[in-house]
Amino acid sequence: MALLEVADIHVFYDKIEALKGISLAVEEREIVTLVGGNGAGKSTTLRAISGLLHPRQGSIRFAGRSLAGLGAHEIAAGGVVHIPEGRRIFGRLTVNENLELGAFTRRDRRDVATDKEQMLVLFPRLRERLKQLAGTLSGGEQQMLAAARALMARPRVLLMDEPSMGLAPMLVEQVFETIGRINQQGVTILLVEQNAPMALGIANRGYVLESGRIVLDGPGRDLLDDERVRRAYLG
Amino acid sequence: MMRRAALIGLAFGAGAVHLAAVGVLLAMHQRWIIVEALTLGQAALLLLAGGAGAMTRGPVMGALAGAAAGVPVVALLAAMSLVPLNSIFIALSHDLFNMLTLGVGLAAGVAILIGGGAIAGLVGVLLSNSSQMVRRAIFPGAISVVVAGVFQELIQLMLQQYEGPVGDFRDFIYTWEGLSLQGAIAIFVLAALLSEVFGFIWRMRAERTASHDHRRERMVRAGIALLILVLLPMLGGSYVGQVLMLVGLYILMGMGLNLEVGLAGLLDLGFVAFFAVGAYSTALLTAGSAHALMHLPYWAAMPVSVLLAVAVGVLFGLPVLGVRGDYLAVATMGLGEIVRVIVQSDFAAPLLGGAQGILEIPKPSIGNFVLGNPVSLFYLTLVASAVAAFVAWRLENSRLGRAWEALRDDEDVAQALGINLVRAKLLAYGLGAAFAGLAGSIFATMLTSVYPSSFQLLISINVLALIIVGGMGSLPGVVLGSIVLIGLPELLREFGEYRYLFYGAVLIVMMRLRPEGLWPSDVRQRELHAEDETLALDAGTDAVPAQPR
Ligand SMILES: Nc1ncnc2c1ncn2[C@@H]1O[C@H](COP(=O)(O)OP(=O)(O)O)[C@@H](O)[C@H]1O
Ligand SMILES: [Mg+2]
Repeated sequence: MALLEVADIHVFYDKIEALKGISLAVEEREIVTLVGGNGAGKSTTLRAISGLLHPRQGSIRFAGRSLAGLGAHEIAAGGVVHIPEGRRIFGRLTVNENLELGAFTRRDRRDVATDKEQMLVLFPRLRERLKQLAGTLSGGEQQMLAAARALMARPRVLLMDEPSMGLAPMLVEQVFETIGRINQQGVTILLVEQNAPMALGIANRGYVLESGRIVLDGPGRDLLDDERVRRAYLG
Repeated sequence: MMRRAALIGLAFGAGAVHLAAVGVLLAMHQRWIIVEALTLGQAALLLLAGGAGAMTRGPVMGALAGAAAGVPVVALLAAMSLVPLNSIFIALSHDLFNMLTLGVGLAAGVAILIGGGAIAGLVGVLLSNSSQMVRRAIFPGAISVVVAGVFQELIQLMLQQYEGPVGDFRDFIYTWEGLSLQGAIAIFVLAALLSEVFGFIWRMRAERTASHDHRRERMVRAGIALLILVLLPMLGGSYVGQVLMLVGLYILMGMGLNLEVGLAGLLDLGFVAFFAVGAYSTALLTAGSAHALMHLPYWAAMPVSVLLAVAVGVLFGLPVLGVRGDYLAVATMGLGEIVRVIVQSDFAAPLLGGAQGILEIPKPSIGNFVLGNPVSLFYLTLVASAVAAFVAWRLENSRLGRAWEALRDDEDVAQALGINLVRAKLLAYGLGAAFAGLAGSIFATMLTSVYPSSFQLLISINVLALIIVGGMGSLPGVVLGSIVLIGLPELLREFGEYRYLFYGAVLIVMMRLRPEGLWPSDVRQRELHAEDETLALDAGTDAVPAQPR
């Protein structure tokens, strides 16, 4: 049984059906990516999994338990941590306070301290800016902070929404490298990307979304070579 | 450059014309700062011209801006002498004309206005570029003179009882009419000297203790302010006590709203509802009148009132849980009004007394000592404020405080990190309401009666304005904001009708010059001044700078 199982979910914004029956599975320690054009429903899928939206139909199971009826904060406390689209750090708090908030649900203060130390090793840039307001960080640094903050929660599954958005090409590569390293530490990753080539390159498996439906799925490499994917997303 | 200076001057001059047209200038002219030498109205004009000068660079530009500030006023004078404007603007009277021309006629008056404006502008620009040393002397000196002059009646009343050296000093600086010229000079010199001496000691100490400890410095300043607050009503008598008590009640409410708006980012214009609940609960639990449900002693009714306010706060939060931003302001305003309308309504009148209110609320007593007069009630307010401040301070630095700050910045992310949005928001409303409930409870026993008309929307707006002026999210800011926006207007009763003009002016000036507030919290200060420091750092780090969200 997969760690995260999404079965035929339908999600609405009022009357607009944004997801028209999405099913996907993420195995423990995998990197799975969702690719697709603008408005395909990638972000909506992640928001449904993390509990920010509630599917009208279908089920989501994490580690064998149904997530139906749980609040977003409960799902987060259970180990599914979402890094939403955009650089959504707490701009009016310091870098340090942002990191501390990542560990909001944890009670093991001593382990939190060691985890923070680890984050600062992983992202040395943040160490220099620990006391600085997060809103004053550069785009790349904010993205790093968002990732580090999410990792402070010791997630089992990380839902990442377009972490490379708006970053310079050199930084994009750095971001993907970081994703690989996070995964190697045992964190399962569901990655949403518009940058399909990079995402499919790093992922074990991928799903292609189009207007709220999954139109293709398979191992990352295969999708990368698939003629239809190449035509649609890779130009 | 010249164009800019002239425009700045004209804008400030237009401000002066506005003050004249609404009548506040003439009202201010009725009050001496220094008897037979300078009125408050004249000082306001000088301040405007000086302010125009201070916003320019270089002595020539400063003088130009100051002179330009005189131009609209001159135009007003010309218009007044040509057309009988006062049939439309009743404030544009003969008295005003005399005030602006110093009673020497139009031609000489114009020369005085332009020339005086130029000099004031010159002084303004010189002061704004002067050294710390000069400023440290001039500003406290000038402020002390204004305070001593404007509040002469009150201060004289306070000093009345003294003989000996204090009495001699009083007779030296004051005539029965107000501050004398020799008194003004004496006070200016004294304040300037004290400021220099203390400034010097302060810097010496700062140099000795290697790590310049900001926190401690602030604690000391707050301590001094507190000491003044404690002693003032004892010296000032019951009028001062009453004003300070009102300030204290607003401080309590300010601290509560600060939790909601400053920390949790939940704009609330219905805050007065919690104040009303506190007041009415106390009334219903203690009053001697027929409406009372019980006749508890005040000390038992107070905590119950606070708890009821908390309950109403939580209830209040429920319907607006999903409302964000601007809509929240409107929704909470509606909720606040609902509470007032219910209280006022006829169908609740059998229980709440309707428009007639509830009377005969007893004063609290300790043993046989009844807290009957404003001064003793002020001390009750002070103690309540101190306890509340401690609670607010602890809350700010708690896990809950962090959660509030997180949801203020980004609700979705806060949830995604495991923060229970519903609970955090309801706690913000409930705990914020507790402070207002406490204030309401004291308010009820202060007036010994409660009426629905005491719980207008205006109170919510006042509280919001005072935390903005004081500094969002800052406890000392709440105190300063209350003193400036509640205490000062209360002491300057004769300008009562211009109170909201004053509010507006203060808010606009603050937003332009000091958006972080009078005494900002550390974070706000960092936030608003961080950009200058970090832009430089950022430039090299990567190609895409962060977009402000
Ligand atoms: N808050 C919203 N309200 C209404 N419609 C929305 C909202 N967010 C997204 N949508 C719609 O849902 C669809 C899927 O959006 P989204 O999941 O954000 O796409 P993606 O992340 O793949 O670009 C789009 O058609 C979009 O217009
Ligand atoms: Mg998206």
